Amino acid sequence: MMNVRYSVMADLELLRKLAGFQTLETVTRELGIKRQSALNLLSKLKKEEYLTVMGGGPKKRLYRITLVKQRKRDLGMFDILNKYSPMKLAPWYDHQVHGKYTVEDALVDAVQTGSFRAILSSLRLFSHITDWPRLYKLAKKKNCWQKIGALHDVAKKLFRAKHLPTKYSGKPHDSMQYLVRNYRTKENWIKPIEQEWNVGIPFRNGDLRKGEV
Amino acid sequence: MIDYAEQQKLFGTIAKYLSDDITCYAFGGTAMMYFGCKEQTKDIDMLFENTDLRDKFIQAIKKLGFSETSPFKIYIAEKLRDKFRPLMFSFAQIRFDLFAGKIFHTVLSPLMLEDFFAVHEFKEKHTLTVKTLSPEHIFMLKAVTERQNDFDDIRTILERRPDFNWQYLLDETIWQYKKGDNWVLYDVEKTLQELKEYIFIPETYIQKLRSAVQESGKGEKQNLTKTAKTKQKKEKLSMQKKLFKR
Repeated sequence: MMNVRYSVMADLELLRKLAGFQTLETVTRELGIKRQSALNLLSKLKKEEYLTVMGGGPKKRLYRITLVKQRKRDLGMFDILNKYSPMKLAPWYDHQVHGKYTVEDALVDAVQTGSFRAILSSLRLFSHITDWPRLYKLAKKKNCWQKIGALHDVAKKLFRAKHLPTKYSGKPHDSMQYLVRNYRTKENWIKPIEQEWNVGIPFRNGDLRKGEV
Repeated sequence: MIDYAEQQKLFGTIAKYLSDDITCYAFGGTAMMYFGCKEQTKDIDMLFENTDLRDKFIQAIKKLGFSETSPFKIYIAEKLRDKFRPLMFSFAQIRFDLFAGKIFHTVLSPLMLEDFFAVHEFKEKHTLTVKTLSPEHIFMLKAVTERQNDFDDIRTILERRPDFNWQYLLDETIWQYKKGDNWVLYDVEKTLQELKEYIFIPETYIQKLRSAVQESGKGEKQNLTKTAKTKQKKEKLSMQKKLFKR
């Protein structure tokens, strides 16, 4: 039997052996240790943040073990987008906000990324906007209210989005802005929205279909 | 020393004292903690796009009790003479190394500004946004500093992050060289050679970097003989001593 009383931080080999999804049985088999020793080891790994547990209760416990620490996270833009949008995104960076972070913040952040997929995914957030003054204030601060207004009109045409209060529906006289740099639509039903808000909207019907919007 | 949880709390507290929204870039030990590769760090290394942003940050940390300290015992003389050396602030065994515009010779590249590992926003009255540079950028920055601890950190990154992108590192190194950092090519190549003893590095990348060093033609450091190198080290030491005396 193997001696499991070692420091986990130092033992990279152990982590390499166990990295991935494991159950109690696979750990005992992999390391050739007793059930109780495996439980002790898993507990130690969890304490040192290399392990997270999934399942439990009537389900089998699944342990996710990684070579790097799995820190506790606060929600960020990608978490909110993936919660509300049917089109899920694989985050290309870890975004976390420590403090108040709402759907309104996530929508403005998504537009600010300039990423086609993030903007397409953010359309669904218009069904969950409750605090229009907050959204307006945030968007004005980042100079993107024009883009948000245009996106809202596109969302309205596609599904039941929340109504934009008349107070904020005034069309701007600002210069042309693009959601994605120099991209404009070729769809006739979107063109009037582009002209109205003076915003280049990059979507085509196929994109909206793929994005399940 | 400061650990991850303490550092997060500290950033949250700093955000309360900010007079404006500030964005900065974390590298060094702070970035290593965000990667999940390190428990604690001696100093919090941060880079600001300009001195105005850095000054606003300094105002906030001064309100918390941080005061400026001397960088003399920490950096070698050559680094101390650099125009872009950091301002250092400490309080209760926590130290900030604050850079503006450049990290010594290393410029903020377009990729550094766009492609980061993580973004942490600390929202209070104003927002402190901490963007963590990618592991490849951290590798490059640590290779340039040439301290033993930095070499160990590079090893840790490579051992714990199998998704490390060698081509990305190569491209960034060459970009930095073209922007005027003459030493970066040599330093990264030297680090790769040393790393080969511990970690598998695809030979193609080493060859590409070597050919870039040769192409550079300038390769001042490459042409140095061993004796010349020791001479240079002695000079550095004597300069350091002089500065200490002052």
